[in-house]
Amino acid sequence: MGVTSSTALWYASRATGVVSLVLLSAVVIIGILVNRQGRLPGLPRFAVLGLHRNLSLLAVAFVAVHVLAAVADSYVSISLAAAVIPFVSAYEPFWLGLGAVSLDLMAALIATSLLRRHIGRRTWRAVHWLAYASWPVAVVHSVGSSTDLRHGGVPLDLTIACIAAVVAALAWRVARAGAAVPRARRVRELMTPGGRPPGPAQPYPLAGAGER
Amino acid sequence: MNADNQHAATPGAASRAAARDRGRARVRAVTISAAAASLIGAGVVAVSLPASAHTSISHATSGTSGSRASGGSSGDDGSSRSGSGGSSSGLSSPSSTPASGSGGGQVTSGGS
Repeated sequence: MGVTSSTALWYASRATGVVSLVLLSAVVIIGILVNRQGRLPGLPRFAVLGLHRNLSLLAVAFVAVHVLAAVADSYVSISLAAAVIPFVSAYEPFWLGLGAVSLDLMAALIATSLLRRHIGRRTWRAVHWLAYASWPVAVVHSVGSSTDLRHGGVPLDLTIACIAAVVAALAWRVARAGAAVPRARRVRELMTPGGRPPGPAQPYPLAGAGER
Repeated sequence: MNADNQHAATPGAASRAAARDRGRARVRAVTISAAAASLIGAGVVAVSLPASAHTSISHATSGTSGSRASGGSSGDDGSSRSGSGGSSSGLSSPSSTPASGSGGGQVTSGGS
């Protein structure tokens, strides 16, 4: 494939970019599963949470290599500031700007997760919703800045697979959220004298779909 | 300490602790596997990337008039077309985009 000293950084940047997208997709999917009380085969829930965290950190490591390799590659001029500050790059400002936006959102996610005890659950959750913005921005950055994807091959296949997997996970989540009985309603029905008793013969419909 | 003693005294606490340890071990194993798979995947992706576009463009734009890539991967379209100033759409690398975006990376991209 012709990796030389002058092209090694280019290959590293591109390859780690693709792998970062795959890892981020996995993180998003596991995050969706965790939020809807999903399970992975053979893993208890706390382990799924741990896996979500570990894969997040792994993805961040790959993103860091991706960014640093792109900055260090002397072929195109991408400053470190342009990798962090959106839309200031001289080279492909829009597409690289999207990458910077995604990187910043990711940094916010990581920082608030590390400071979760100090900032409170509500703030952490609000910021964590940014994950749903970070991932599509990263996908658009990948598609827009990479001509590889336009010509097919493994990067395109992986990108399509990532999109399909995340969309499927989102659909699953939306379906479960729509079917779940809100906790407040369940409590209200339990507390109401005329409410249906949660007897074993007639359990609450979809009880446990939301919280378990 | 007290809490540990209480857990130890609770029936089933040992099995729960064992299950927790198994879960942690699985998480560790899956994480290590994912890291290894990611590294291998990066290598596979790097191999699958079209070769020589980077070097051929860089040679061409640096004025050495090298129409052939030094990458030496046998002739995909990118290497043969790269000598024409990198404006071909067959190049599939970021190196093709500076050529199309700024008309030659070194010349104009330093503008900011």
